[in-house]
Amino acid sequence: MPNEPVGVMIIGAGASGAAFAWRIADMGMSVLCLEQGPWMKQSDYPSNHLDWESRGMGAFATSPNVRKLPADYPVNEQDSAISPLMFNAVGGSTILWAAHFPRFTPPDFRVKSEDGVADDWPIDYETLEPFFAINDRMMGVSGMAGDPAYPYHEPPLPPLPLGKTGNTLAAGFEKLGWHWWPSDSAVTSREYGGRAPCINLGACISGCAQGAKASTDITYWPAAQRKGVQIRTGCRVREITVRADGMADGVLYYDEEGNLQEQKAEIVVLACNGIGTPRLLLNSKSPQHPDGLANSSGLVGKNLMFHPYAAILGIFDEPLGGRRGPTGCSLWSHEFYKTDRSRGFVRGYSFEAVRGFAPAQTALWGMARGMVPWGEGHHEAYARIYDRTTGILAITEDLPEETNTVTLDPELTDSHGIPAPKINYKLSENSQQMLAHAVERAKEALTAAGAVETLAEPLMSTAGWHLMGTARMGKDPKTSVVNEWGRAHDVKNLFIIDGSIFVTAGGVNPTSTIQALALYVADSIKKNIETLFD
Amino acid sequence: MADTLTPLRDSAFMQAFLDLVIPPSDDGKLPGAGSLDLASGVAGQLEADPALGPFVVAGLQAVHDAALARDPAGLSGLPQQARVEVVEAQVGAHPMLMIGLGLHLYPAYYQHPRVLEGLGEPPRPPFPDGYDLEETDPQLLEKLRDRQRA
Repeated sequence: MPNEPVGVMIIGAGASGAAFAWRIADMGMSVLCLEQGPWMKQSDYPSNHLDWESRGMGAFATSPNVRKLPADYPVNEQDSAISPLMFNAVGGSTILWAAHFPRFTPPDFRVKSEDGVADDWPIDYETLEPFFAINDRMMGVSGMAGDPAYPYHEPPLPPLPLGKTGNTLAAGFEKLGWHWWPSDSAVTSREYGGRAPCINLGACISGCAQGAKASTDITYWPAAQRKGVQIRTGCRVREITVRADGMADGVLYYDEEGNLQEQKAEIVVLACNGIGTPRLLLNSKSPQHPDGLANSSGLVGKNLMFHPYAAILGIFDEPLGGRRGPTGCSLWSHEFYKTDRSRGFVRGYSFEAVRGFAPAQTALWGMARGMVPWGEGHHEAYARIYDRTTGILAITEDLPEETNTVTLDPELTDSHGIPAPKINYKLSENSQQMLAHAVERAKEALTAAGAVETLAEPLMSTAGWHLMGTARMGKDPKTSVVNEWGRAHDVKNLFIIDGSIFVTAGGVNPTSTIQALALYVADSIKKNIETLFD
Repeated sequence: MADTLTPLRDSAFMQAFLDLVIPPSDDGKLPGAGSLDLASGVAGQLEADPALGPFVVAGLQAVHDAALARDPAGLSGLPQQARVEVVEAQVGAHPMLMIGLGLHLYPAYYQHPRVLEGLGEPPRPPFPDGYDLEETDPQLLEKLRDRQRA
């Protein structure tokens, strides 16, 4: 029996798909979301168990190539300097994210005008500001109003406690006279909207059993479902289908039992982020779209941007309590965010203070660095670093380059035989210079904070959380894939709402901006409904 | 009958070997890894690890054989210093032995309730009780308030 056609079909139930679904639901059209993963249960998260650290390295690992769960697809990352990370479930990567929640700053939307590199976005901060605010309320953001690095905004919840690690690091930034501010964090510092407050489990990136960390399965989705949005899990889309005139008319997908199904829709919305979205577009070839759907510009899959990360750690002489508290949410610094050409690179980076390592993670990290030997001296060496190590992540702005790509692997496929993505990514000279600068500045901050030793991982090759740029937005169909409100130039009933439409990457975590964009696109569809397909 | 067993399944050998890798702490707060009944779990993980497992097993076999050549009881029959010498003599030829073993042994050891207690950590999962966290230093917050954008 064929599936009933729907008005709006969203592919992907993660950060952007959830926000969009909730916002579009009151338009009066039926809304269906197809998600290849399952609903998660908080009772299954690792922090319910004594061996939570091991579980976080297995079925809850951040890399799909490590997890290899039925919901995952493989990613060929052999030719990439950074391994992409993601999670496939209702909630998407918000299940395993750290929930550090900065917005892009106003200049991030006009990089070409500011610095003569990359491109300006076709929209600006002011356009997105109302959607940032809505999103903060929906996700439950904790933070402190008045950060001079941003236009004024008020997070709905007070900031999370910095703990001893944050207090210590903040004192270092103070000593140097550098900017710092408590992070906006999508973690509840108080009871909020039925969600319990954070109780400092320290296990954010393997799922929050408390439900204090915002993942869209517990924020947007319940609200969207109350508005009538349907969500179908275990459904992997093979391709978007098109009519003779080239407009999208639905998808072919494999259901939970592996049966190929057809689902018709009037509007198709892609929310699979910077790798899943170009993969699906490139897998949707047809006589009308021989190079892949919405790809007349040839830019689908090009301009892949990560945020190259450096990790800089300090060892202190006293216990810091750093294994406790929201792992990646403490304080940020925009001291080196803007271009200063005397530094040898354009654009900049932010610092994100992290807290500390749990017991097993400390041992593995110490072993990998040759700091914790086997045999005699093991305990002494371990005691020197356990609970005495904290650090700073540098999130550097990656500039778009057409040679950094997502393509289809000629051989590798997922469990349904659908071609898997292949990543080609090289770190630019600009990014290398920026990382080197960030490492030295972070060491300064840690030393000022009292660290007796500092260490650096100058490029975190396994930190490819942020996947952007592979279906960029713009006004010119020759140089972009979607227009200024997310509609594909080539296919007027196809919309993209995830990180792939980013023009530039900023130097901060992207999820707040991704979700604001998704809400903005939903409102743009509603506003333009009369002429949507013109 | 130690010489008829694979090293992973020779419990006396594994106990002695794991105690060499992580010995008891001098103050007695932390147990040796060999005393925690971790061997069978670690052995199972190594057998299921196609990347590193074979290298670790080969290294363990070399240690096992070298120890047997010195004492019929194998590694567990040797005095402490001799045990260390036997292992150190094989590590150079089997560079993945300690790394591969550590990847499985360290998490098992450092999540064991007795070890957590020895570290001063409560031997329980993080959830549901959670942990206390020091509040933000009010003096720091005061400085920020002076800089707040209106």
